[in-house]
Amino acid sequence: MRTMMIVATLLSIVLGTAAAQAHAHLDHASPQVGSTVTTAPSEVSLWFTQNLEPAFSTVEVFDATDARVDQGKAQISANIMRIGLKALAPGSYKVRWHAVSVDTHVTEGSFTFNVGGS
Amino acid sequence: MIDPLICARAVVFAATMTAAGAVFFMIFVAEPACAGAKAGASVLSTVRVQSKWIVWTSLGLCIVSGFAWLILTAAAMASRPAAEVFSGNILWTVLSQTEFGNDWLARFVLAVLLAAAVAASLPSSSAKPAWLNPVSAIAAAAFAGSLAWSGHAAGGIGLEAVAHPITDILHLIAAAAWVGALIPLALLLGAAARATASLPIARAVVLRFSTLGIASVATLLLTGIINSYYLAGSIAAVVTTDYGRLLLIKVALFFAMVAVAAVNRLRLTPRIVEDASPVAVLKAIGHLRMNAAVEAALGAIVIIIVAALGTLPPASHAQHHAAYGSVPADAAFVHIHSRQGMADVTISPGRAGTASATIHLADEDFGPLDAQAVTLTLTAPTTGSKPTTRIARRDIDGDWQVDGIALAVPGNWAVVVDATLSPNKHLLLDAPIVIDPAQ
Repeated sequence: MRTMMIVATLLSIVLGTAAAQAHAHLDHASPQVGSTVTTAPSEVSLWFTQNLEPAFSTVEVFDATDARVDQGKAQISANIMRIGLKALAPGSYKVRWHAVSVDTHVTEGSFTFNVGGS
Repeated sequence: MIDPLICARAVVFAATMTAAGAVFFMIFVAEPACAGAKAGASVLSTVRVQSKWIVWTSLGLCIVSGFAWLILTAAAMASRPAAEVFSGNILWTVLSQTEFGNDWLARFVLAVLLAAAVAASLPSSSAKPAWLNPVSAIAAAAFAGSLAWSGHAAGGIGLEAVAHPITDILHLIAAAAWVGALIPLALLLGAAARATASLPIARAVVLRFSTLGIASVATLLLTGIINSYYLAGSIAAVVTTDYGRLLLIKVALFFAMVAVAAVNRLRLTPRIVEDASPVAVLKAIGHLRMNAAVEAALGAIVIIIVAALGTLPPASHAQHHAAYGSVPADAAFVHIHSRQGMADVTISPGRAGTASATIHLADEDFGPLDAQAVTLTLTAPTTGSKPTTRIARRDIDGDWQVDGIALAVPGNWAVVVDATLSPNKHLLLDAPIVIDPAQ
C-alpha cells in the first residue's frame, strides 16, 4: 500500500504539470504534408494539437518562385487554420505556418505539397 | 543567464500562493481556532495585521511582476522585442483577444477585489459582515485557480479543454492552501507561544492546519493523477529531456516537503496536543515553526521550477542557437515534426562557409526511429538556386551525418530530410533553417 502511494504520488507529480507537448504542433494538413494531389485544391487546412490564438497565428502558401498563391487572410478557429488558394497550376507549393497556441507558445514550420504530379 | 520571463512567472506564482494562502489560513484556521479562546482576540488581532501585510505585499508583487510577465509574453506571442509591444496595438491585442490576456485582466480584477476584502476585515472593525469571509475565500480561490489559464492546461481540445483546467484549478488552490499558509502559520504559532495562556490556541491551530494540509495533499495527488491521463505515453520524453529532469527535481522536493509535513503531523502535533508541560509544548512549537520555514523554502524552489517548466522551448519550434540540450552555441538547429516522425537537424557551424549536419530521427513518441537510408537536401535562399542533395552516413550514436556542406550564402535555407524507413515507406520532413553570415 505504501509503495503504491509512493508510485501514485511520483506519477502525479511527474505528470501533474502538462509536459512540453502542450504546444501547437501541426497534427495533419489537407493537402497532406509532402503529398501529390491530382486536382488543384481550393484551400489549405491545417489541424494543430492545441487551440490557436487567431490574432497572432498565420499561414501563407508560396509557389516554386516564392510568390504568394493564397488569398490573404486565414480563417482560424479553435485548432484549425484554413486559407483559400488562387487557381493553382501544376507544380510544387510550400505552406509556411506560424502558430501561437492559447498557452502563448510560438511554433512554426513549413511543408510542401505538389499539384499534378510534378 | 537568468531568464526574465521565468523570474516574472516565479514571482507571480509565489506571490499568488502566499496571498491566497494567507486568506485561506485566516478564514479556515486562525479565526475558528481563536474564536472564544482565552487571549484569542489579541493573538488574532496580531496575526490579522501580519496576514494583511502578507496579502497586500503579495498582491503588490503580483501586479508589478504581472506587468513584466504581460510585456514579455506579449513580445513572445508577437515575435517582437519587448520594447515594441507598446506600439502597434500589440499589448491591447494580447489583452483583448487572447486567452492569456483575458486571464491577466481577470486576475487584475480579482487582485483588487481581494485587496478590498482584506481591507474590509481590519481589526478595528469589530463586527465583520457575514458575507465577507465567503467572498474573500472565493476571491482567493479564483485568484489562485486562474493561474491555470496561463499555463499548459490552457489550449487543450475536446474533453481535455474542460477537464484539464478544472484539475489544474484544484491543484493550484490546494497548493496555495498548503504552501501559501505556511508563513502565517509560523507567525501565529510565534504569537501564541508568547504567553502560556494562548498555548491552547496553538493546539487548535496546529490541529486545524493539519487537517487542511491532509486535504491539500490529497487534492494535489488526485488532480495530479487525473492530469496524468492527458499525458499518457509521454513518460519516455519526461525521463530523456531537460523538462523531465526538472520535473524529477520537483518530485524530490515534493517528497521532502511531504516528509517534513509527516514529521509535523505524526511526531510534533501529538506533543502539542497531549503534552501538558508548557516547556515541551513550546519546544514542539519551535520545531513546527522551523519546519514550516523549511517547507516554505522547498515550496519556493518548486514554484521556481514550475515557472521554468512553462517556458521551455516547444519541441517543434524551429529555432536558431537553441538554448537547450546539447546543441552547440554556434550551430543552426531545427526540429521538424510530422505525424509519422520527427528529425532534429543541427548544422554546425550555423554560418555561411563549410559545415557539417547531424540528423537525429525519432518517432512521434521521441523513441528511436530506425531508417535504412537518409538524404539531406538543402536549398539556398537565393532566387533560382538549385537544391543540393547529399547522402547521410550513420555515425556510432545512430545519428546521421553529412560533412563538407557548402553554405554559400547566409539566410533562410530550406532543409528536407528524406528517411527511407522501408523500401516503400519514406519519412519526408522539411523546414526552414537560419544560416548566419560568415564571421
